Amino acid sequence: MSAEHTISDPSIRLGAHGVTRRFGSLVANDSINFRARRGTVHAIVGGNGAGKSTLMRILQGMDRPDEGVVLVDGSPTVFLGTADAFARGIGMVHQEFMLVPGLTLLENLVLAHEPTDRLGRIDREKALEEAHKLETLTGVKLDWDCPEEDAPVHVRQIVEILRLIYRGADVLILDEPTAVLAPAQISELMALLRKLRDEGRTILFISHKLDEVLAIADDITVIRNGRVIGSMPAAEASKAKLAEMMIGEILARPEARKGTVGEPILTIANLTARDRRGNVGLTDFSLTVAAGEIVGIAGVAGNGQDELASALTAVGRVDGGTIRIAGTDVTHMTLRQRRAIGLSYLSPDRAAEGLCLAAPIEENAIAGHHRRADLCSRGVLKQAAIREHVDALLDRYSVKRSSNSLPASSLSGGNQQRVAVARELDGNPSILLACQPTRGVDIRGIAFIHQCILDFRDRGGAVLLISEELEELIALSDRIAVLYGGRQSGEVDRGSAEIEKIGRMMLGGADA
Amino acid sequence: MSDTTAIPGNSMQMRWKGATEVIAPLALALAVAAVLLLLAGHNPVEVYRLLAIESLGSVKRVAATLAAATPLILTGLATAIAFRAGAFNVGVEGCVFVGGLAAAYVGFTYIGLPSVFLISLAVLASVIAGALWMLVPGVLKARLNVDEVVTTLMLNFVAISLTAYLVNGPLLAPGSANSATPMVAETARLPRLLPPSTLNLGFIIAVLLLVLYWLWDKRTALGFETRIAGLNSRFATSSGIDVPMLIIKMMLLSGAIGGLAGGIHALGTVGRFVSGFSPGYGFTGIAVALLGRGSAVGIFLAAILFGALATSGATIQLFSDVPIEIVSILQGMVMIFAVARFGWIFTKRRGAR
Repeated sequence: MSAEHTISDPSIRLGAHGVTRRFGSLVANDSINFRARRGTVHAIVGGNGAGKSTLMRILQGMDRPDEGVVLVDGSPTVFLGTADAFARGIGMVHQEFMLVPGLTLLENLVLAHEPTDRLGRIDREKALEEAHKLETLTGVKLDWDCPEEDAPVHVRQIVEILRLIYRGADVLILDEPTAVLAPAQISELMALLRKLRDEGRTILFISHKLDEVLAIADDITVIRNGRVIGSMPAAEASKAKLAEMMIGEILARPEARKGTVGEPILTIANLTARDRRGNVGLTDFSLTVAAGEIVGIAGVAGNGQDELASALTAVGRVDGGTIRIAGTDVTHMTLRQRRAIGLSYLSPDRAAEGLCLAAPIEENAIAGHHRRADLCSRGVLKQAAIREHVDALLDRYSVKRSSNSLPASSLSGGNQQRVAVARELDGNPSILLACQPTRGVDIRGIAFIHQCILDFRDRGGAVLLISEELEELIALSDRIAVLYGGRQSGEVDRGSAEIEKIGRMMLGGADA
Repeated sequence: MSDTTAIPGNSMQMRWKGATEVIAPLALALAVAAVLLLLAGHNPVEVYRLLAIESLGSVKRVAATLAAATPLILTGLATAIAFRAGAFNVGVEGCVFVGGLAAAYVGFTYIGLPSVFLISLAVLASVIAGALWMLVPGVLKARLNVDEVVTTLMLNFVAISLTAYLVNGPLLAPGSANSATPMVAETARLPRLLPPSTLNLGFIIAVLLLVLYWLWDKRTALGFETRIAGLNSRFATSSGIDVPMLIIKMMLLSGAIGGLAGGIHALGTVGRFVSGFSPGYGFTGIAVALLGRGSAVGIFLAAILFGALATSGATIQLFSDVPIEIVSILQGMVMIFAVARFGWIFTKRRGAR
């Protein structure tokens, strides 16, 4: 460290003190405390939905805490907005880059802060000079005339970082910066970050990849369910310790059940599928789910679960392999046809896909079943029958509501999810694809939904359960398949389902 | 987690909210226009009284208002059906033109047919022409996600220019100097309900279609699917509804009704197709659909309102020194305040992608 930094106030450059943020009944951040020391890399580690994104939004002025304060240079600060946070030197590199295609890297670097000559024209020479200064400072070399869209993804990320420095930021918040990078590019990024840190800048590194965190961080804070589980110097941390803190303890270990497993219902063979951007997200994946069996899919978010779900629901691209439901090849069928054969799908995104919040509760409860013979004849809806059916159905699932004709948005999150579960288990499907079935649901709702899934299994239904909650997977699944990097990295039976073992597989460790 | 179940009385509140959203644009428009009238030295109360009398003051005036509302009911309905499916169709104007020309063509060509057949055939031609006009934008949106606002808006200009070319060339009435087709046969004219008013059978057809629309929306599986797809297409897709196919169907239906509006206007009111056939019925239809919030009753009332403004505007000048422009201002104001909802629908539309 240079002398300047040992002389200057060595205290906290950026931190949080008792930061609490609620969204309705959901507590996204629950009195979060952490201190990022000046000139260090501070990692914030946590699983999906742990509250990292909310905290980051608060730290860069996009959102304000309900309680607690952000600390800047050790003193409590209220940001007026992102520009205010930036004026205090805090900048963020988002997961989705904010560069403009059609402009060169140099133009992107100086965008909105262009050096100009006396006539107000952009001074390209001066801009290039600034760019070269940054190159010397950081030890990277870039082709500045390259159009943004032709630059490789890691170069674009470097430009994002340099842009913040060019504009004067000395605190860099990086949200999952390695998610889009190849291993060699990751080490390049790490070298850059170390260099910046040694220059005296403070870096907040958000990730759930423990190897990287341990390699780069000086301090580590682990959060789970919106709370800080612990903060420690990296020297005192280990991968196992962090994994345990991230994932948590299992409250009660359910006993191994000897269910009667029947015929295979869902058979996935050598499935290769692409994500929305066209990259292969799932490779050569095979799995069978039999009647009377719950098979869980574990994995850190973004390791192929989305591609698996979209292949099964006929929205994603399938490059190879087959999907069979009850012996019928459905690989090229629409979701409507698959549903007709017995597939049922509980969406992970309740607000956008699982329900139509603007439509009445009643319509949400019958969508997809609305052409069934007991509800509809010759294209005309049987209103009385529907009313009766929906009332009975929602009573069975204890949905608290005042009227079925109110929009679904009038229900609480837990009751909304009950409506979705009720609909998807209605009409005796043969296989339920349940994605994050209890996301954003309170504890009582979780227990109820879990019981619904178990009852369905006991009635002879097949369930494919995709969840980021390991506790949920272990509580429900008869078998758990683990995805890592788009491939199956292991499978465990419920008898031998140990959190450490699954955790290792989730993080790419060898099948132990 | 506390259960934030809806409090009883919520549905009353929502109904009230719905009513204000319909009435507010009109009230606001009247208020703003009143200020303008005062500035111009007129008594707004007196002007509004005159407008009311001229549009609704006698059987004759009511008939004129309903006649003026007829094409607006149909174009409003055509627009609303596409909106229901989540397609922002602004191309109904073009459908009015092609539908009007198709009906007029049949009406002056197959003059030997008995009246019932001739009218049916002419109406059918207008429906088919309108539907086909929306085929390409519908398919482009559904299959390639091409923005329907752009394609349908552009097709309006194509329709207007194409029909103008046809009535200036191949279909120009012999011996006629102005750009118009020959008159349709008397047997092709829609029967009038209250002669000498131009109110005709078309009004009955339009109201019947509104009733059918109401039933379709409330009672049929297809209406249900359309509404769900328009509100949340991802949800509809995951429920097994074929949203792209639905969009194509609804765009065709929207075009068919737009074409019908043109056909009825040609056979019922004008008696032929002339260049500049529609004074923007398709565009006023957008305001009607928005002001009426897509409901059958709302569309009916909004169409009557715009019809009343159009008829009273034409005669108010005769009985007062109020300039006709004040009616245009009123119409414009109602549209602006009605379309203030447009922003909301537009963001929702973008957000849904």
